[in-house]
Amino acid sequence: MNLTLLFFFGFVAALLIGLGWALWTPRERKNLESDPRRLEEQGQRHTDYLPQIRQALAAADYDFLSKRASRGTQRRVRRERLNVALAYLGALRGDFESLLRMARAIALLSPQVAVAHEFERLRLTVEFAWRCQMIRWKLLAGMTPLAQLAGVSDLVSGLSVRLEQAMKELGERAAVAAELASSMNRRGMGTV
Amino acid sequence: MRSVKAELQGLQQILWLVNIAAGVLLLILVVARRNYRAFPAFSLYLLTNSTLSVLVFLTYHRWGSSSVFSLWFNWGMRVLAVVARALAVAEICRHLLARYRGIWGLAWRVLLASAALTLIYSCIAAKYQWKLALINAERGMELAIAAVIVSVFIFVRYYGVEAKPADRSLTIGFCLYSCFIVVNDTILERFLDNYVPLWNLLGMLAFLGSMLLWASALRKSQTEASREETLLPATVYQALAPQINFRLRLLNERLLQFWKTEATRN
Repeated sequence: MNLTLLFFFGFVAALLIGLGWALWTPRERKNLESDPRRLEEQGQRHTDYLPQIRQALAAADYDFLSKRASRGTQRRVRRERLNVALAYLGALRGDFESLLRMARAIALLSPQVAVAHEFERLRLTVEFAWRCQMIRWKLLAGMTPLAQLAGVSDLVSGLSVRLEQAMKELGERAAVAAELASSMNRRGMGTV
Repeated sequence: MRSVKAELQGLQQILWLVNIAAGVLLLILVVARRNYRAFPAFSLYLLTNSTLSVLVFLTYHRWGSSSVFSLWFNWGMRVLAVVARALAVAEICRHLLARYRGIWGLAWRVLLASAALTLIYSCIAAKYQWKLALINAERGMELAIAAVIVSVFIFVRYYGVEAKPADRSLTIGFCLYSCFIVVNDTILERFLDNYVPLWNLLGMLAFLGSMLLWASALRKSQTEASREETLLPATVYQALAPQINFRLRLLNERLLQFWKTEATRN
């Protein structure tokens, strides 16, 4: 095939895929709660259940089960632990997206934005999404020993607490931004 | 073979007239609905395009489609039409994002850069043949227009801006038409004279499709571009953006740590 044909057809195909992606709104996004103040509460809700989840993922717990429980039970526990780990990854993603939504709302309503901050956020978003997806695939493929999944717990608990602290630190300013973003939603701006 | 060519040329003449009529009707619709207030550059584009189509039709009728004058006149008119289209696209981009001053300040630079990069790409990817210079120039412009449209929609999605259905439809019409022209010109470059009748015919069909999309978008009166949103004080962004980015970086680093730990364990 002619190289020129390939270059131009490829570019057009990429543009059409980009256009389709940009115009497509995922169902979960459509159903998302539009009030950004709820986003601030998400971190807190994760921390509420942390002790129980940490217990469920504890390595000692798994060792205990492997000695006393039948293979079927072990398999079931393994499956359930995997689900917990995946749910945690989802929660982590949720935390990240909450912050992103807030950042975008602030950027949108600012008279001037810094190119460096915006591009850094874009880079972080791409990196985070990629890593999250890789870990998810790895977990689903069973490449991560389930006994080691407790690490996920530490990771997420740290993050949740950190996010909670972050939100507290942001304090009134975040509330002002959330209020403005909320009023923006009421005026017809779609949810992010 | 010759009869097929003659048939195509006959069809092309009919389609040409249909396109001119559709363009005029669309222009009447824009005027009747007073949409020229909301879309002055788009209205100007429609006017320019309709006028040019009539002029080119008359030129071909007078001097024939194979005369050198007709050929150059046609290409000159095409360049004008592409420039008018670029202006109309710029107007819709403004419609979509200019309400948000900060983001618009960033967006128009990115859009211009993406247009410039696409033009450069187009020059590099094209074969350097003087007789194809006009086709290459048109293709480059169309590709740049399509790239700008896709970029603006990516901005719209990324920042969660609501795009009015009319703006969306107009822009999609432009983008699909530009993409089609790029593909059509690329095929023409390869097969040249044998493809010319079909190239014209397909180009006209694509334009007719776009006009139908625009007509459906402009069947109702559109309000003028929304006023600028009430903005936050600049200090809020300056204070919060670095903090939020820091938190995002932290989350990312934690995830990376987990990833690395798992990688070494495995």
